[in-house]
Parts: sequence; C-alpha cells; structure tokens
Amino acid sequence: MTPAEIAAAVRDGLPAGVACEPDHRGVALQVPPEHWLAAVTFARDRLDCTFFDWLTGVDEQAAGFAVVVHLYSLTGRHHMLARTLLARPAPVLPTVTGIYRGAAWHERETAEMFGVVFEGHPYPAPLLLPAGFEGHPLRKDFPLAARAALAWPGAKEPGEREVPRTGRRLAPPGMPEGWQPP
Amino acid sequence: MAAVDLPAPRPAGAGTDPEIAVLDAGQGSQLRVFDAGLACCAVEVAAAIRRWQAQAPATVPAPVRNVFVVAGTVTDKLAPFVLAAYQQTPEPRRVLSFGACANSGGPYWDSYCVTKGVDQFIPVDVYVPGCPPRPEALLAGVQLLLGRGPAR
Amino acid sequence: MTARPPEARVPAPADADAGKLPPRSRGVIALLEENCTVCMLCARECPDWCIYIESHKEPVPGSAHGRRVRNVLDRFAIDFSLCMYCGICIEACPYDALFWSPEFSYAGSSIAALTHEQGRLREWMWEVPLPPDPELGRG
Repeated sequence: MTPAEIAAAVRDGLPAGVACEPDHRGVALQVPPEHWLAAVTFARDRLDCTFFDWLTGVDEQAAGFAVVVHLYSLTGRHHMLARTLLARPAPVLPTVTGIYRGAAWHERETAEMFGVVFEGHPYPAPLLLPAGFEGHPLRKDFPLAARAALAWPGAKEPGEREVPRTGRRLAPPGMPEGWQPP
Repeated sequence: MAAVDLPAPRPAGAGTDPEIAVLDAGQGSQLRVFDAGLACCAVEVAAAIRRWQAQAPATVPAPVRNVFVVAGTVTDKLAPFVLAAYQQTPEPRRVLSFGACANSGGPYWDSYCVTKGVDQFIPVDVYVPGCPPRPEALLAGVQLLLGRGPAR
Repeated sequence: MTARPPEARVPAPADADAGKLPPRSRGVIALLEENCTVCMLCARECPDWCIYIESHKEPVPGSAHGRRVRNVLDRFAIDFSLCMYCGICIEACPYDALFWSPEFSYAGSSIAALTHEQGRLREWMWEVPLPPDPELGRG
C-alpha cells in the first residue's frame, strides 16, 4: 500500500481524533490514548501490519510521556509508527498484548523505565531492573548517580591544581543542561 | 487474526552441558575454563579457546586447574547468577576478569544497572584489560595466572 | 564450547599471523610527554573519564619578570580498567602526544595495576609502530 492509500484507509477507518502523516516509508499516526487499542487493531487487521517491531516510551517532560509503537507489514512493505501522549502525573494506557502477544516484554520494559502503567497486562513485573530498584531510570529527571558523584577529570583547567570554585566551570559532556557538580 | 501465544521456554533437562572448555595444557594436565560469557567479550574468549591448543602453557602447577572467566558486562540483575556460577566452580579455582566491563564496569560504569566490576562480589585473581581484549590477551592473562606471565 | 574429551577436540586453525598484528591495532595508548601541553582536551573528551591529569603553572625560564607561563604536567594516568579503546583522546589531542600501540599483554593482578602512570605510558612509546610511508598507495 502506498502512503497515500494508507492515509485514506486511516481516515476512513479510525476516529477523527487520529492524525495521520504519511512519510516515505509508510505512515505516522498521532493517536489520543482513548483510541490506542482501536488504532493498533486497525493496523494489524486492515493495514496488514503483522510484524510488531517495538514499543517504547519517550519522556516529553512537561507534555507528559509519549508511547510509540512501530509496526510493519511484510506483504505491503510499509511501516506504521503510532504515537500517543499520556499525562505526566498518571500515565496509563491499555495493553496491546491482546493484539500482539510479543508486546508483553516491551511494555514491561517501558513500565519500569518510565513508570507507564499498562492496564490489562498479563504479567506486569520488572523485566531488566533488579528487584528493589527505586525510580524510573529513563525519565529525564533521573540522575546518573555515578557521573554526579565522581569528580570529572576534565573539570580542571590546564595548569590548575584544583577545580576552580568560582568563575567558569565546565560541565562534563552528556550531563543535562543546568547541571552543576556538587 | 487472533493473537498467537509465544512458545514457552523449555527448562534445561538432565544431561545438558554447561559452557565448559577442556583444554590440553600439555604433559597430561588439563585446564578447565568455565566461561561466563555475558556480552561481546564472550566472542573473544571463544576465539581464544579455539586457538589455544597450539599455544597452551607447557605444564600447569597442581593448585590451578579451574579458571572461571567472566567475560562481558555484569548487570545488577545478573549478578546473583554469576555469583552462583562462581560458587559452583569446583576447587581449586581462580577467577579471571576479562574485558573492561568485568574489570570495572568499563564504558558502562555510569549506568544505573551495571555492576562496576565483577570484583564487587567475587574475588578476582587476574584482570585482563581491553574492550574487547584480543584472544591472545586471554592467553597472556592465563599465563600470568599460572605464575609465568611477563610481569610488566 | 561444550565439554569434550581431549581426543575429540577441534584442532586449532593455523595461526600464521598471530605475531603480526595490523599496525593500527588498538592495544594500548602511549604518551609522548614532550608533546603534551596539558590542554586537557583528552581528559575532557574521554567518554569514560579514565584519563587523570594533574598539572601546575610555572613561569617560563628566561622570560622577563616571569611574565610568560607554561603548564607543567605532574601526573598523566590512564585507567585501562575503564578504557574502552575508542581512540577519542588520540584523535582529540592537537599536539600528537598520544599514540596507539598494538601491544596487548598487560594483564594485572589488581585493578590498580591497570592504571598506567606517566613512566609506563612512555615505555609504551617504544612499541608504537612507525607511521606508514605516505608515498605508498599513490598513483
């Protein structure tokens, strides 16, 4: 199916709240959370997207948490990227394991890394984090404790014996903006 | 179309071999290498063991027979199992930490889920640096373990 | 790598090139201290934070009133237990003070033995291969 055909099918088959943007590979959908299951079911049944590639989250900070799923059609050779945005205080989304069983582990990882709750998930246990881990590591406000605690060897200016306490202090690359060493 | 259940993983039955390589150390002695191949370094250990027979040390002093090689990144989730594998290694045993991740966490030292070196929970005798170390570096590390390595 | 009795072992492949590593093999990093101006670029660019540099400023001998100042390197250490051999430090160095060497046999009995200080980094300089002839490969 060409992107234009997919866009037409989406316009016909899904509620008006679903925004559809064709790109060179297929289609990218912006889906309100209440139409999430309908959109993914539509992709599997009507767009022939039988291949579930991945499901993950994005921390959009003030806007909330985005959950993105990438599906692919082996027969039609087109991609579908569906994206939804969840409110930050209580990110809840219905699970798609009823549609793609393989989404189970992806949703477990997204849940433990971002704190998104997938309702109806058959086995909502942490996947990669050890028992007793506190926090959600892939949120943007989760600090990398090791980098914050260790003194950056590059913080010293050339010729300085110690890190300068005042004036311009270089923050190590990769740390979030506005981060200052303790 | 309906959702299809994924196949359930089969439990390891009796008779399945763990990852052990038995090497001919020459003159009737054997060196048993238990490789905990956790990540990319496992490939280098595999290459080293494959090439090893031609260059193995001539004799192995009696106390050293088992070498537990940790090759690869140790995550916090996997650490108890690496410890269990170490505890199941029969005596006399030595531990060789292979690669930057097993030595100190390596490039992932800042991660929220990586153990900063396998020596955090098991005693290590030799550290082989590299990312990944060459297969020949494993041989050099074993020679250091056996007490005849180049003390540089 | 399953357990096999010694008789059933797969024979090792011929290892004719075991002693001849490619000249740009990344084995260890060597420091030519004379070229280092303590610009700190290598320590800043290292993704692992494994280069430790300490220095101080000294007046250049012979300059009037000690007006010109230069950096003097006190300590330059690379922690090879953390190093991931990416080569960013060698590429970042503007003064060609860091070099690759193919040497790889420097396993240690302790983590501290894997941190190489200035003296040991200079010794690695003797293992740095000569640069390839720029005329080769032309025409």
